[in-house]
Order: sequence, then C-alpha cells, then structure tokens
Amino acid sequence: MSRIKLLRYGLLVAIGIIAVRLFVIQIFQHDEWTERANAEHISQNTIIAKRGEIYMMENDQPVEVVLNKAAWTVVVDPQVTNREEVEKAFSEIAPDKVVAKWDDVFKDKTRRYYVVARGVEREQVKKLKEKKLAGVWYQEGNERVYPEGDMASALLGFVNAEGKGQYGVEGSLNDTLGGTNGLLKTITDVNNVALSIGDDNVRIPAKDGKNVVLTIDRVLQKKIEKKLAEYLSTSKANHASALVMDPRNGKILTMATIPNYDPANYAKVEDGNLFLNQASDVAYEPASICKTFTFAAAIEEGAMTPETTYNNTGEITVDGWPIKNAHSGELGVISMQTALNYSLNTGSMTALMLLGGSDSEITKTGREKLFDYYYNHFGLGQATGYELNESTGLIQEPNKGYGLNSRYANMTFGQNISLTPLQVAAAFSSLINGGEYYAPTIVAGEITKEGKFVKADEKKAVRRTVTEKTSDTMRAMIWGTRGLQRLYGIDKPGYYIGGKTGTAQGIKDGAYTFDETTGSYIGFGGREGELPEYVIMVKIWEGGQTLEGTADALPLFNLLSDVAIDHFKIKPKG
Amino acid sequence: MRNEYVSRRGGNAQISWSRNRNTVRHSSGQLGSFSLSAILGMLLLVVGLIYLTQGAKATSYDYEISNIDSEISELTAQKEDLAVEKARLTSVAAAENSQVAANMQDAVASGYANE
Repeated sequence: MSRIKLLRYGLLVAIGIIAVRLFVIQIFQHDEWTERANAEHISQNTIIAKRGEIYMMENDQPVEVVLNKAAWTVVVDPQVTNREEVEKAFSEIAPDKVVAKWDDVFKDKTRRYYVVARGVEREQVKKLKEKKLAGVWYQEGNERVYPEGDMASALLGFVNAEGKGQYGVEGSLNDTLGGTNGLLKTITDVNNVALSIGDDNVRIPAKDGKNVVLTIDRVLQKKIEKKLAEYLSTSKANHASALVMDPRNGKILTMATIPNYDPANYAKVEDGNLFLNQASDVAYEPASICKTFTFAAAIEEGAMTPETTYNNTGEITVDGWPIKNAHSGELGVISMQTALNYSLNTGSMTALMLLGGSDSEITKTGREKLFDYYYNHFGLGQATGYELNESTGLIQEPNKGYGLNSRYANMTFGQNISLTPLQVAAAFSSLINGGEYYAPTIVAGEITKEGKFVKADEKKAVRRTVTEKTSDTMRAMIWGTRGLQRLYGIDKPGYYIGGKTGTAQGIKDGAYTFDETTGSYIGFGGREGELPEYVIMVKIWEGGQTLEGTADALPLFNLLSDVAIDHFKIKPKG
Repeated sequence: MRNEYVSRRGGNAQISWSRNRNTVRHSSGQLGSFSLSAILGMLLLVVGLIYLTQGAKATSYDYEISNIDSEISELTAQKEDLAVEKARLTSVAAAENSQVAANMQDAVASGYANE
C-alpha cells in the first residue's frame, strides 16, 4: 500500500473518530454538556423578599418595634482560604460577628463551605472585601432589629437563622410577614454582571412581606412591663404576666410576660418557657376568677340575685368529697354578694345547684347549663379566634366521664378547667361591658409599601353572653368585692374599679396542693358612672412557691390599674 | 462609470478621429470572481461589526443597569439603616434612659390615679 493511501485511510479514521465523538457529545450527552455550559455562564440568584416590619400604636399612630437591616453571612472555603489572613481580618474588623471556632473551620480538610460569621454589617463587609481574602463569600440577607430591646419579647417572638418566625407574632404571622422570595436567572459575563442577551433569562420579582400593625400601645406596654419587673423584685416570684384589654372592642393593649429575653440573642436563652406568651400560649386554672362566670350564669337564668342567701357551713360534700372554702369565716346565712366578696367556694357551688333547679345538690341540668354558659356564651375552653396562635384550654363536658358533679363543683371556682388569661379577659369584658362578647384582636392593620396605615376592619361584637341587666348586676357585684380597696383609699373616689382574685392550687402527685399556688387577679376600671375603659388580668407564679390572688396578684393589679388610669388620662367623676 | 473611447486603428489620433469617428469599442463592466468575494467578505465584515457594536451597546446598557441597581440597593440599605437609627433614637427605651428623662420629675406624683 502506498504511503499516500495509508495517509488517506489514516485521515479517514481520524475524521471518523472525531465524528463519532461529536455525535456522542451532541446527541447522547447533550443535556449534560448544556448543563456544564450553563453552569459556566448562567447565574441564578434568589431575590430575597423583605420581611414585613412590626408596629405598635402610640397616640393613634403606628411606630416601628421590629425592623430589618441588611446583614451578611460570611462563608469560607477552608481548602482555599488562608487561615492566618482570614482570622486576622475578622479579629480586626468584625470580632463580635464570628460564629465559628477557627480550629473547627480548618479541621476538616474536605469541607468546602463553612459559615464563619453572621450578622456582619455593611461597613464591616466593605472593609473585609478590601482585604481581598481568597475563598471568602459574602451572602447578603436581612436581620431583625429590635429598637425597644427585650420589650414584649414573648409577644413578638423572633426569627431564627433560617429566616423563619418562631413564637409570638413572628411565628403566628410568619406567612404574612415572610413574603415570597423571587428568582433572577441570567447570563452573566466574567464580572458577574447580568446580561440582557439570551433567551432563557428569568426574573421573578420577590413579594415582600406585609408590615403588621399591632393594637398594642407601645408606651403602656413599656410602663406595665416596668411595673411588673419592679414588683417582682420585691416578691418571692420571678414570673408574672399582665394582659390589658379594652372591654369596649376587644383590642389588646398590652401583653406582657416577665422576665423578657433578648430576641436578637434568642439562642442564648436557656429556659424555653420564656418564649411562651403567658397570656395566650399557656392554659391554666384561673381559680376563683371563674366565680364571676358561675354567678353571671345563675343570675342570667333567674336562679339567684346578689341578695340571695344560703347557709355557709364552710364546706359542701359532693360525690363523697368534702369541698371546702379557702376562707374559714363568714359562716351561717350569708348573701351571694358576701360569698363573692370572700371568694367562698360554697357560694359558687350553691349557684350551680340553683342553676340546676335545686338548693341541695348538683344536677345534670345544672351541669349542662353551666357548660352552656362557660363554653357557648363565654367562649371558655376554646380558641378565642384572635390573630395569633393560642392554646385552646380544656373544659369538661357535662355528661361525659366520671365524678362529673365534683368536677363541675370545682369548675364553679375555676379548678378542673384549663383556660388562657386571654379567654378569661375576653369573657370577663363581656360581663362588665353590657353583655357583648368581642373576640380579642391584636392586629390593628397594615402599613402599605407607600407608608400608608390601612386600618383593619373594626371588630363587631360576636354575640351576647348575658343581658345588659345581668351585666350591670355583675359589674356592681364585682365592684363590691373591692370594699377594702376603697376603704383604704387604694381606689380613689370618682373611679369605678372592680375585680376578682384567684388562687389556683398546684398539682403534686396527682392531687391538688397548697404548697405551690398561682395567684391571679382580673379587674376593670374607668370613670364612675361610665362603662369601664380597661380590663387587666395579672398572673404571678413561681415553682415551689405559694402566690395568692389576694396577697400577691391584687396589689399588682392595683399598681397596674393606676398606670392605666394615668396613661389613659381618665379623670375622676366630680 | 466612465466610458473610454479607444480608436481601433491606432496611429495618429488626429487622423483616426478624422477617418472614422463612429468606430468605438466599449470595455467590459463585469467584476471578476475575486472582486465579488472581496465585496461579499467586506459586507459580511460590516454586518459583523454592526452586530458586535449592537452587542457591545447592549452590554454597556447592562453594565449601566447593574450600576444603577447597585446604587438603588445601596440607597435602600442606607434608608433602612437610617430608619433603624431613627427607631432606636425614638424608642421608649432610649427616651427612658436619656439625660433629659433622668432630669425629669416623676410623673406619678401628680398622676390622676394618685391624686
């Protein structure tokens, strides 16, 4: 074979090999090579949606309490980064933002991605970039800022490292506040500048979260929290909560849980209970506060009046169990008003008997009527429907289970029932506002992108719990319980203030105990001759301590009631 | 194109013109294959240059857009920083801890509830 022929065949084989290879690449491996090419010049970035801000009210104007600030997360590639350089740069520029231990970062040589700093500020990033550190990336994001510090932390909640709201407003309204991230997919040049050429460019704009305005009064919240903290410093308790509500419309004006925590440093919190909003997340036994609901039901049904009398023997035996009064006095024939004044369990149990058409025993009818009032009228033991997550609590049905009479006897004074302070405050408001139940509300509206405050629709009364007449009677009865406060000048003339104590026994070894109790108090206040302007519910507790309604919660209410009168500038009558 | 008139007889121009003035020959106006290729190449070059110019123009706009985007982003961030600073300065916590507040009298003394 001549050399020219040999060369010709050789060339043919070479061309054939190239053709086959091209065929394989272009046909069989098309997708893979396209992907590799795209990876080289197509940039895909998430457009981060701006999380909505949270506002409170002050002088009828919204004020920011949770905002956003641009912050960067810094990532290093341990295989590329020079440890000495990067460590030195961070110690000089942003030592407080470092979240990793440098030894850990460079320990595992196979890792290519390690988050070393979070929450790095703009100026710090600028200085770090000037250092031109190899293998260091800066990811822009948003960080929550809390200008009021730890105020209302249990109410507001926090945003975790993944950008998801946890607890409180942040957790409950995460979908509203969070918005939806967008996408930018473009061909880029070597400088990573997005180019308009190319058919596959995609731009899906981010949908920013909504700015939520709360009904919370910022200044009142601060004042109430301050008073709570001051009070606790002189008390054997370290925990207290207070809820202030406008009984005329169900607006929540304050939701305070002490101690607070710093939401910007939520990870440092050791006690997870601090994250709970005690007013709505935690159901408990509000104890004798419930007597007001029992008496209201009996009065509404025409079974009793404040002047109705009964023989107080100090205890009533139900289902074979003697149920006693906490207060040992006032024995003999006394009125229901006296029973309420001294918070006698025999009084509320008698009211239940009367509700069932008997004066000596608890009947099925009595249980059914009490359940109807507690559950259907006052909305106890169920979610109130306010805008944040809440505990539903628990209420025993009248004809299911065992020991029903003794359970219902306990329910008349707030034991054997589990309620949130929010449920109690909403129901109590209806008792003293003329009988209308307003579902509690905490969202006042939203701030548009243009900065306009759009108010939420005014909430209307959901239902009537009792008639206006019964409400008037109950308001007077509850006012009657504060005779001593008026006598000692705690309640000033010209104001109309009423309230009811509650001391809930703790449970030890499956039985009620007086070794650990939670003190509660709910009250209303306003100008004499007018409907109350505020309802305040306080709760004070401490593990292993006895905190009482009268000794511990009532004085706290008195302080907060004064704060409310001053804050709302309620002038006394006359 | 300019026509050239060439005497077919040559010799003395004056004689030729005087003898048969109408005898002329037109030169061929056709382009050769090389010229055509060159012209085609030049046209392609021009079209290519126009394309590149447009592409460069689009890219320069992209850079301009990118710069403006960065500027918007920077200004938005500055606005946010200012909003945060304003919120901090006007917060109840800041007001409470201010020197002005420290020098103020306790309002409780003249409060409604304690009158």
